[in-house]
Amino acid sequence: MSLPPAAIVLESVSKRYGSRTIIRDVSFTVGHGEIVGFLGPNGAGKTTTMRLIAGFTAATTGRVTVAGYDMATDNFEAARRIGYQPERPPLYDTLDVSAYLRFVAKVKGVRRAALAGEIERVTAACHLEAVVRQEIYKLSKGYRQRLGLAQALLGSPEVLLLDEPTAGLDPAQIQETREVIRDFGRSHAVLLSTHILAEATLICQRVAIIHHGRLLAIDSPSGLQRAIAQTNRVSLQVTALAGELRAELLSVKGVTAVSMLPPDRDGQLTVECQVDVGHGIEAAIARAVAARWDLHRLERQAPTLENIFLQYVADRPNGSEPA
Amino acid sequence: MRGTLAVYQKELSTYFRSPIAYYVVAVFLLGTGYFFLYNVFLTGETTMAGTLQNMGILLLTLAPVISMRLFSAEYGAGTAELLLTLPLTPWQIVLGKYLGAVTILLLISVGTVVDLVPLYIFGTPETTTILAGYIGFVLLGMACLAVGELFSVLTHNQIVAALITAAVLLGFWFVGHLQDFQRSDVLRSLVGYLSFARHFTDFIQGLVRTDGVAFYLVVSAVALTLSASYLQWRR
Repeated sequence: MSLPPAAIVLESVSKRYGSRTIIRDVSFTVGHGEIVGFLGPNGAGKTTTMRLIAGFTAATTGRVTVAGYDMATDNFEAARRIGYQPERPPLYDTLDVSAYLRFVAKVKGVRRAALAGEIERVTAACHLEAVVRQEIYKLSKGYRQRLGLAQALLGSPEVLLLDEPTAGLDPAQIQETREVIRDFGRSHAVLLSTHILAEATLICQRVAIIHHGRLLAIDSPSGLQRAIAQTNRVSLQVTALAGELRAELLSVKGVTAVSMLPPDRDGQLTVECQVDVGHGIEAAIARAVAARWDLHRLERQAPTLENIFLQYVADRPNGSEPA
Repeated sequence: MRGTLAVYQKELSTYFRSPIAYYVVAVFLLGTGYFFLYNVFLTGETTMAGTLQNMGILLLTLAPVISMRLFSAEYGAGTAELLLTLPLTPWQIVLGKYLGAVTILLLISVGTVVDLVPLYIFGTPETTTILAGYIGFVLLGMACLAVGELFSVLTHNQIVAALITAAVLLGFWFVGHLQDFQRSDVLRSLVGYLSFARHFTDFIQGLVRTDGVAFYLVVSAVALTLSASYLQWRR
């Protein structure tokens, strides 16, 4: 059977709770063998979007399709193909690890003969062997988080949805978890939400930025860097009079905005210029400033994913349309 | 079927790995033991009628304790997000949980059978009447648990679920007393028909009537259907 073109498809999806709109007209896809990172500040709508895709809640308008099944009409069939790790690990504290995984595996339709092998596979992948007989309430936060991931991996689902999968893990555990996700993402569709921007750069082929329930951008980390490069920032330190320096800088072609901190004890101003042209702008600024004042430092800020994220979010505070 | 069975097994495991099941069984058996001693040894009556009547009232207060955690605990622990996104239909979840609670009910029913030993040693009770009483007790319990499951589906707070369930069950128990205040024959028979106590009394007296059996089963079915419908609707 040939696989559908995308494992997750969101078409103009909105979600309202009463008069509050949580998700506004969000559309994107996640393909098979692709890991997509979902970035956004707290309250941006990441968890609600995850819940819409997982079938925990239904879209108010628009269409969510998972593995070819419409979540509005075929959510049972879709659920058989989804592994979902919610933000808060969904664990039954009174059960032991083995009984918990056995329950989830049975519901996911893992055959009786394959149960033990499947549980062994996910416990090994998530490094849970040492606690397999322990009651869940005794587990540390790191183990709880990894058990949440292990249940999502049971049955090798076509689509894996991970809401903050590395939250609460130590650096070594984060590394191991990223490896598990990367391995799984080679042959399955993975959508993961994260606050850690470096994580998105490291393991995701594409990154989606969401803010106030709107999708602001979705592209590869390098694509986002290219897109943002044209609205870059140049920072400099200069000994000068603020008013004159501002006027001089704004007269340089390509400088669109100038912001300054008050002078320090040595009279040096820290200045940040918003620039909209690519190569050569640093040299033009340096020439204009150095001709009249002492230029102590000039640096073009590299468009890291962190800068890109902050810029996208800061530029559209009210959920306005992305440029 | 497999999904229902998996939910049922998980429910039983969680019941017996928490103190609730032990508490309910212990309180029920102690209470029943006391009522049995009082009814049989102090009044010299060699029947289970009085004890079964008391068991029914005791059940009204303990059924909410069994049912309160069915869904409210899942909401509180965040496991509802797992349960409702696994390949399970609302009916499989509702039924699996209900059967788990009914198993506790059957356990406490079987536990009271020990009271029958002295009854048969020292007297000649009517077996069919006792059997009818137990059938009524189990049917009453099934209805109480289904109503309790419905209120557990509706609220995130276990205590609120238990309190509302207890109030509603007591309402169903005592609604028969309103018969005396009704002029209309239709209302009188309706209020009488809705009484948990009236149907239960028939069973205790040895009458297994179709309308009594149907009444408890219909109450259970309606409550379970509403629970499953709510789960579907809340998406």
